[in-house]
Order: sequence, then structure tokens, then C-alpha cells
Amino acid sequence: MKSYKKTFALTAEFAILAAISMFFILPILWIIASALRPSGPLYTYANPLTLQTFFPVSITFDNFIHIFEHLQFGRALFNSLLVAGSTIVISVLICSMAGFGLAKFTFRGKNLFFIIVLITFMVPFESIVIPLFVLIRRLKIDNTYFALILPAAGNGLAIFLFRQFFSEVPTEILEAARIDGASWTRIYRKIILPLSIPAIVTVIVMVFMFQWNSLFWPLIATHSSRFEVVQVAIASHRATEDTSWANLFSSAIAGSMPPIFLFLFLQKYFVRGISGTGLKG
Amino acid sequence: MRKAFLLGLLLLTTLLSAASLEVLWMGWPKDQVLPLIDEFKKQNPGIEVDIQLVPFGQLFQTIEVRLSSGDGTPDVYIVDGPNTASYAARGFLLPLDDHFSAGEKASWFSSSIAAGSYRGQFYSVPYGTSSAGLFFNKEIFEKYGVPLPEESLEARMTWDEVAELAKKLTIDTDNDGRPDIWGLVIEQIDRPYLLFPLAQSLGAEVLSPDGLSATGYITSPKFVEAATFYWRLFNEWKVSPQGVNDSAIAREYFGTGKAAMLLGNEWNIVRMLKYPAIRFGLSPFPIFAGGTAVTPTGSWHVGINSKTQKQELALKFVKYITGKEAVIQWYKANGVAPARPDVYDALPEVFQHPMWQMFLQEMQTTAVTRPLTPGYSQYELILREAFNAIHYGAEPKKTLEDAAKKIDRELSKYK
Amino acid sequence: MFRSNKAGWFFILPAFVFLGLFKIVPIGVSVLESLRQTTYSGRSYFVGFENYVYLFFDDPAFWDSFWITLFYSLIVNPVIIIVALAMALLLNENHFFTKFFRTVFFLPTAISFAVVSVIWSVVLDPYYGLANSFLTLFGLPAQPFFASTAQALGCLVFLNVWRSAGYWMMYFIAGLQNIPDTLYQAADIDGASAWKKTWKITLPLLSRTFSFVLVANTAFNFLTFAPVYIITKGGPRGSTNLLMYESYKSAFVNLDMGRASAITTILLGIILVFSLFELKWTKAGFEY
Repeated sequence: MKSYKKTFALTAEFAILAAISMFFILPILWIIASALRPSGPLYTYANPLTLQTFFPVSITFDNFIHIFEHLQFGRALFNSLLVAGSTIVISVLICSMAGFGLAKFTFRGKNLFFIIVLITFMVPFESIVIPLFVLIRRLKIDNTYFALILPAAGNGLAIFLFRQFFSEVPTEILEAARIDGASWTRIYRKIILPLSIPAIVTVIVMVFMFQWNSLFWPLIATHSSRFEVVQVAIASHRATEDTSWANLFSSAIAGSMPPIFLFLFLQKYFVRGISGTGLKG
Repeated sequence: MRKAFLLGLLLLTTLLSAASLEVLWMGWPKDQVLPLIDEFKKQNPGIEVDIQLVPFGQLFQTIEVRLSSGDGTPDVYIVDGPNTASYAARGFLLPLDDHFSAGEKASWFSSSIAAGSYRGQFYSVPYGTSSAGLFFNKEIFEKYGVPLPEESLEARMTWDEVAELAKKLTIDTDNDGRPDIWGLVIEQIDRPYLLFPLAQSLGAEVLSPDGLSATGYITSPKFVEAATFYWRLFNEWKVSPQGVNDSAIAREYFGTGKAAMLLGNEWNIVRMLKYPAIRFGLSPFPIFAGGTAVTPTGSWHVGINSKTQKQELALKFVKYITGKEAVIQWYKANGVAPARPDVYDALPEVFQHPMWQMFLQEMQTTAVTRPLTPGYSQYELILREAFNAIHYGAEPKKTLEDAAKKIDRELSKYK
Repeated sequence: MFRSNKAGWFFILPAFVFLGLFKIVPIGVSVLESLRQTTYSGRSYFVGFENYVYLFFDDPAFWDSFWITLFYSLIVNPVIIIVALAMALLLNENHFFTKFFRTVFFLPTAISFAVVSVIWSVVLDPYYGLANSFLTLFGLPAQPFFASTAQALGCLVFLNVWRSAGYWMMYFIAGLQNIPDTLYQAADIDGASAWKKTWKITLPLLSRTFSFVLVANTAFNFLTFAPVYIITKGGPRGSTNLLMYESYKSAFVNLDMGRASAITTILLGIILVFSLFELKWTKAGFEY
């Protein structure tokens, strides 16, 4: 009786999720179908609505081959991966440290620092782009990868997130470790970080998405086509004079693969109960 | 060994001396742009060209930020024709009169040279130009028994005739109370570029001669009359669809048989090749009864940064990229109308086409460039919002009066 | 909580340097810019609070935009959070389909906005769109969507939910992993219903994640720009003219950096006030 009820609940849950997911996936299916068709008009399959709108009858990869062979999309993918990857390494390190500092210590200037952290993600990028550009020219790092990586490395949102998660780690554990003579850096490495895998994973995705989606800053900070990033390559396909739907859709789909695979892969680290020791702070 | 050493030294010196030119360019597809750059490098060994292709949506912001830093880069940049005055007034463009003889300037249409000049000085070299006309879908006309418009300049239609055709060809095929075929689609629904000629055909001026005030110009009875006609298309006769404010979508409507007519640019001759099913004709840009024929024109230009350290090199590049050979290649790759008459002569197999002949005639006789004002981008944005509001049903006179006030306030900065 | 200036500063120092250099310095410059005016020739001079005075007392466009932005944020924030939280709760347990659906919900975030705008322009096309095909299929009247002053802002909310709910869901999922299993086991022994467990255990223990998402989401939504810039251009008739777009126009079209910076500084102030209030409220509202 009980398991029958459980199966029913699971089926209902599945049905609800499937219904919601239609709403997320159908528009994207249409884009994927369009990218897999020979390049042509946009509306041909959008109206009237048929099964073909979402599932192409004859599939071709020509559009994808074209963007890699003739439009150097591979280079853009490489650049964005390099920039996002490097930023993640620096960001996770310095932001988790700062999150720990904010979560577990009282020190002079703490509240001011927390306000600074909050402010950094409350100001639109457009309003700091000119001073930031002047700054990286002074530092002589314009038109280098550093110009794309360093300004994004300190991430207020990531610090805020780490602070929230580290606050959940019971203070008693840290106290016990202190009494055993552990240094703070050791506690940070051996207790805080291992207990916060979901937070680290989340910040990795956060920083990756931030860098992956950046469009305006790369145009300002670098001026050589060898530094072209993914969003620039994708956005180039749209202009008043001409829009190449095939190039636009195929590059957008190719460009969405890395974040999707990253998210898919990192999900195995969303595991319950690592910090679920039952202790409460 | 010695030889290898010398060779190495030679390589090193050429590397060190290799001059690199920084170019900020519109984000056209790489397979169209890069062959032109490679050709330049082939012709000028030892010169590097560092070209940045900026998507249209980010182009003007990027130019603003890069130029405002004032360190002389980029050396060469793409300029939207009507922005010439703005960049020139702020000292961002190298004056070119000393570097282009009158003979050289005669290589371009005079309207293009005018669009690249400000206060009597030549600042930006034309890279392309444009024209517009009324494209029509022959199949729709034939299917609904409406006689086809004549495809000649002598048979230029009046706007009232176009409106009549549009009313006949706005068709609700499935009787759901909503049109399935629209009479007329406007490619750029709120761009002054495409809409000024309506007012100008009635004799209206669109900006004061000094380029600094709009009140009395875009609020004149003639301008309001033209705007009211535009309002009627969408709100009274409902022969044009509201809200199609993306030119790519407007082309889709026309290309896939959802609109009988398209008021659009010359590039549609090439763009419509993507829609193999459509048979279309071209009627010249309409006029108001009793008015004069006016067509829009203008396109991209190329400018040199006034603070560049590499003036000679920059000039060399600009003369190459706007020269006959490169523009021929550019036309073949991209299909935008060349601003040089000699290119039209060089490609008779393309430009003898009656549609191109019609546009060529228009460019030489009826084309009127957009007004020269250092505040063009402000002026254009406010007018775009006004035209957009009018097409959504805002009262034309009031809307234009409000717009004129805003424009005057913005332009007063340049007095 | 440990009291230690040395350890505290040791841990925040690297981030402090990066944030200070690449964020606070430019932000400071931008805030100072709001106290200046620049002539078209690039000469800049100090004007005190003139830009603000003008915005507050002389600039109806600012106030229209202000109210639209506020209205938009007050609607879109709760909607996104409720949808994201609901999805996270549905996908909290590990079943065979969990990973698949999480990824599906995350998809819209991964797609370039240049294409998201095309997707929704075509789906919500007032005449030939997929959405209207669906509506008429079920005998409902077709809608104008982005082509209507009454619906455009609603469409913007919808688009934002579609694009970012999956992203915020991720944070809730991460937060849910931090709740100890033992608490649920204890509740099971007491025979608590799923509904009761959600209200008595899950939500209270999710409060830190919740306040993070609330604050971050508030900032993101007040700063909404791309969909306005790409799809609506503030229209029809100003109905989607959010403050960020108003500021953008000032900065890059009207070359009026003073007004642009004043607007973004005001936005910063509004977001900060909202956030501090939200931080207080989430602490007070979920005692445990």
C-alpha cells in the first residue's frame, strides 16, 4: 500500500516536471532543429506549427562545419574556455578565503568590507567600463588575456555565497581543531573547503557563466581578433543589413555546449550530507 | 651556420620593424572580411593588420569607449556615415583634404563625399552606399488579381496608390479576423533613414541648416502630414503590421510570402536569394502626389584616428580598402552597394540588372543624404522613439513636438 | 565567530585587493562622474548635485522609467524566486530523472542572449508566432505580446523567468544539499508529512541560501538591460524603458556621462537599500 502510494507520487512528480520542462525545452528544440536544417528562411517551419518545427526531417551538420572551418569559431571557444578556466581558479581561491573571513571572524573593517562586497555586484558593468579601460591601459595589460581574466577574478557574488555557506559550518568543529593546534590556513583547507563542495561547485558554474556570457568587456579590453570570445563571435551574426540564421543558431548551440556539459558534470558533486553531521552551529 | 644566423637576424629585424595597424571594423562575417585583409598584407609585405570585428549591437559603444581614451588607437575605424560630423566635431577624425586630391574624391558619388564631410572638410572615406525602393511579391499580386506595378522610374507610384494596393493585398486567408498577408512591411520601421524621404518628398526639411534645431522642421505641417500618413498605415488602414521592429524579421515576412510589399534597401536584391521561392519586382521609392522624388542614401565610411602614430600606414590601408579592387571584392562577398561609380562599370554582369540600374539612377539623381549634425546619434535616437510611438498609434503632431523639444535640448550642447 | 584582526584580514586580503582595484576604483570614478558634466569636446567640470537635482525635479523621462523599473522588479523578483525554489524542491531527491530535468531547466541560461532574443521574438511574434499558434489551437484569442503597451513588460518578466529561473534553481539545490539528512529521518519517525517537512525543516534551514538568492536576484533584476536593448528598445511607447536602458542612452548616445552616472548611482542606492532590508528580513523571518 505504502509503496503503491510512493510510486504514484513519483509518477505525479515526473509528470509535473515533464510539463514544466516542455516550456523550457520546446523553444530550444526549435533552434536546434533550425541549426540542423540547410540554411534557409526562419519562419518556414515556425508557422504553421507542425512536428517538423521541432524535429528536422533531413539533418545536416553543414552549418556547424561552416562556423568552425570558415568563421574560426573554434578559436573563440578556446579563448573563452581559457579565460573562464583561469578566472575560476583565481576566483574560487580568493573568494572562498574572503567568504571564510567574513563568515567566521570578527575583525576591524569587516562591515565595511561586506558592504564593498555587496556593492560590487550592484553596479552595472556599463557604468564602470571607461574607468576600468583606463585602468588596464595604465597597468599595460590591455589586449592580453590578463585584461579579460583579472578584472573578473574578484567576484562579490561569489564571496557572498561562500559567506552564506561557510556560516552553516558548525563553529564547534573549528574550535575543536583550534584546540588540537591546527592553524587557520589548515582549518580552511582541511575543514572548510571539504565541507563546502556544493558551494565550490556553484561558484565554479557562477564564474564560468559570468565569463562565458561576457560580451562588451572583451571588445573593449582586447582589440585583436585572436582574442575574440564566444559571445562576440555569436553576436556578430546579427546586423541590420543581414542576419545569418544558420550561423547564428549553430554558433549559439555550439557555444552553449561547454556550460551545459560543465553543469551536467558538476552535478555529481551536489551531494547531500557531506556537512550533514548533525551538528548545528 | 652563419647563414642561419643571418637569416635569423633578418627575421628578427623584420619582426621588430613589422608595423602593425590597429583597425576597428564592423562585425561582418570573417570569411568576407579577412580575404581583403590578407590581400593587403600580400601587397604590403611586413605590414601587420590587427583587425577587430565588432558586432553591430556593440559597435558604437565600443568606438565611443576606445576613442574617449584618446591614445591614438585604433588607427583606422569604421564610421557610420552620419556619425562623421560627431566624430569630426570632437576631434576624433583626421581631416583628409590634404591626403585626397579633388581627382581622387571624384571616384565616389558626390552624395557619399558630402556624407563624409563636415564644415567643408573631408573626414571619412565612403566604403559603401545605399538606396531603397518598394519591393513587391509578384505571386501575391497575381494570385489576388491586382495588376503588377511597373518597374521603371517613370512609373513611380504615389503613396496614395501604394496605400490602395496595400489595402487590397492585406488579406485574411483563414477568416480569423486577423490578416495573414500584410499589404506593406517597412524594413526599418522607425529609422529616420527610411522615413525622412516621405516628408522630404512633400518638401519638408528635417533639421535646421546649421544642424542644431529641430523645432519648426520636424514639427512643420508637411512633416506632420507625412508622419500622419505613416500613422494611418498601421492604425487606420491597418495594412502594415505593428511591432515588426527587427529588420531581419521584416525581411522574413516579405521573403516567406507574408507581405505583398516591402519598403526596403537595395541589399534585398542579394538577401532575397535566401528565399528561393519568392518572385519579386522592384518599384521606385514612392512619392506623395505633386511632390518631388527623394530617396535615402548613405552607408559605412572609413575614418582615421586624428591621434594615430601611423598616419602613412593608415592612409595606405584606407586607400586600399576603399579602392576599386577591394570594393569589387567586397561587393562580391557582401552585396552592399558600392559608393564608387567605377565599380558599377567594372561589374556589368551584376549591375546591368534592371533593379541595380534603377538604384544607380536613384543614387545619382534623387538621393538625399541624412542631415549633417554633430548630434546625429541623439537626434536619430529621439526620432526613432517618436516614429516608433507613432507606428504604435501615438498622435503624430504631439509626438513630434515633444521629440523636437528633446532634440533641441540635446543639440544645444553643440552651440 | 572568532575575534582576530590578523586572521580576518589575512583571509579577505587577496579579494580585497582585486575588488578594490578592479571594482571599487572604477565604481568610485563613476560615482564622482555623477557630480560632473562633460562638454561634447570632452572638457569636464564639477557641478555638485546638479545632475541629481535635474533628474529629480526636471526630468519626467527619469521618473517614468523609475516607476517602470520598480514595478518590474517587484513583480519579477518573487516570481523568479518562487519558480526557482519550486523547481529545486521538486528536484531535491535523487531519482533517475533528477539530473536530466535539472539540466533541462538550466538550458536557457546557457544559451547566448543574442539567440534568446531571436527565440522569443519569433515565438511571441504577434502575427505568426508559435505562442499564438498554440493559443489559437486551444481556441484562445491571439495576443500582441511585445507589440502592446499593456503586455510588453509582462513579456519581459516572462522572458527573464524563462532565462534565469534555472540558474537560481542551482543555488537552491546547492543549499538543499547542506541540510542534514538526520533531521528528515527524525521527522519521518515522528510521522511528519512531506508538506510539513518542507515548511518546518527545509525552508528554515534554507534561509541563508534564500537570502543570497534574494539579494543577488534583486540586483540582477534592477540592472536588467540586454532584453530591453535588443528586443524592445524601451517600447512600445516607453512601456519597457527600464532605468538601465535610460542610463545607457545617456552614456553612449547622448554622451551625457553625468546623467548616466547619476542614474546608475541612484540604482546602486535603491538596490543597496532593498538588499539591506532583505538581509534583515530573511534573518528575522526564518528563526532557527
